[in-house]
Amino acid sequence: MPLDPTASMPVKIKKVSPAELMIVWKDGHESHYPSPVLRRECPCASCRDEMTGARILLPMHVPDNLEMRGVHIVGQYALQFDWADGHHTGIFSFDLLRALCPCSYCRTQ
Amino acid sequence: MAFWNKGESGPSEDQVLGVLKKVLDPDLRKDIVTLGFIRNLKIENGNVKFDLNLTTPACPVKDQMRDQAVALIKGVPGVSSVDVNMTAEVRQSPQSDKTSLKGVRNIIAVGSGKGGVGKSTIAVNIAASLGAAGARVGLLDADIYGPTTPIMLGTDAAPQSNGSRIVPSRAAGLKFMSMGLIAKADQPLIWRGPMATKALQQCLFDVDWGELDYLVIDLPPGTGDVHLTLAQSIPLTGAVIVSTPQDVGWRISMKTLRMFQQTRVPILGIVENMSYYICPHCNEKDYIFGQSGGSRAADQLGIPFLGEVPLDIAIRSQSDAGSPLVLHQPNSPSAKVLREIAEKVAAQVSIRSFEAPVLEVE
Ligand SMILES: Nc1ncnc2c1ncn2[C@@H]1O[C@H](COP(=O)(O)OP(=O)(O)OP(=O)(O)O)[C@@H](O)[C@H]1O
Ligand SMILES: [Mg+2]
Ligand SMILES: [Zn+2]
Ligand SMILES: [Zn+2]
Repeated sequence: MPLDPTASMPVKIKKVSPAELMIVWKDGHESHYPSPVLRRECPCASCRDEMTGARILLPMHVPDNLEMRGVHIVGQYALQFDWADGHHTGIFSFDLLRALCPCSYCRTQ
Repeated sequence: MAFWNKGESGPSEDQVLGVLKKVLDPDLRKDIVTLGFIRNLKIENGNVKFDLNLTTPACPVKDQMRDQAVALIKGVPGVSSVDVNMTAEVRQSPQSDKTSLKGVRNIIAVGSGKGGVGKSTIAVNIAASLGAAGARVGLLDADIYGPTTPIMLGTDAAPQSNGSRIVPSRAAGLKFMSMGLIAKADQPLIWRGPMATKALQQCLFDVDWGELDYLVIDLPPGTGDVHLTLAQSIPLTGAVIVSTPQDVGWRISMKTLRMFQQTRVPILGIVENMSYYICPHCNEKDYIFGQSGGSRAADQLGIPFLGEVPLDIAIRSQSDAGSPLVLHQPNSPSAKVLREIAEKVAAQVSIRSFEAPVLEVE
């Protein structure tokens, strides 16, 4: 859980390319997500066991060149992606996205 | 502007705007000049005339702001009279999806922890109050299993369609649509897919709501498919939670509150219904279940407290008769309480429309 409650509020969401999503957060932090990294973390029931949280979709099932076709805002709390493999059911809350930030600072927190 | 007034005895536009800057909108916490509320300012022979364009016709402090503005302008040398024309333009709350519901400026959900606390009663009276104040209002009854709203509005006609769009009914000055009535109409088109989710989406996107300042959505009790679908399908301006003093320590409403918070739906405030009983003989208030539980809980949670509604047989009998109390007996004490709640909701909506960030994917 980020300490600052505004940390997981995006101020800018940008599909940089089919390979990368960028989010700038209210606290100024900038996150860059390679598409396959996000796809591997899909929280939907067919990718993760709802009860145990165990992975059903294994990282190796997602090719490193997997592309993001579309990005949609869900209500005002999450993002939904259309992936090149046809998958689109995952709803990534902003809290989850902030927690998934792959930068070295966030990875060591 | 001031330049042209040099040498004349009349007050200048700058002088007038200067004093008007002292009038603050207590909800938006800015002055009415900065907020752009002053329109069509005309100064002629000592007469100062302008429109005061507020963010809602149901503004709880509009008389206060007008009186303050008039008093301040009258203090400007050379002013002989002041005419203020009160107008309102409900601002659009930030919408990420510009295509769906594009004519609807604000969407307010009314929910509760448990059933029977008076959600529909409060939703209908809030909607009717906003309508009576001059706003364009829609009401969506999103309770398929126990639709009571059609009874409260005295209309249970199956909705008509105009080609591909469903036309909302009109009642009590509102555009109205009920998921239950769509079910009754039994149009096969409507009942595909997971029932509640599909029906709600149709009520949102396939109904020709037209231009609305407020769309009020009466939710089923608790949390479920309809709530999640709603939070996922549209950016809600906010939610009103209805509770009663009997919901022990507000525990029951907490789950509903948390669900809205998790989906980042702003909580506009809490209404405590059936808070006290007004003795029909002596008009004395009797807090049967203890006093101020609701406002204390709201304080602790940092959520606005919107008001206490009495247990009043007139509220119920007007609902049963299909004509909301705020319209049928607008001067009764209970109608006044309900109207004040609607005004506070409108004020909270204005605050959200000014504050909320617009989220877009670039
Ligand atoms: N303040 C009040 N004074 C008197 N009667 C009231 C009051 N509020 C609600 N009622 C009555 O209580 C009953 C339940 O109210 P209502 O249908 O509005 O509750 P609800 O929360 O929408 O219920 P549900 O969970 O079934 O949708 C109705 O008969 C209504 O007329
Ligand atoms: Mg109801
Ligand atoms: Zn998935
Ligand atoms: Zn980071």
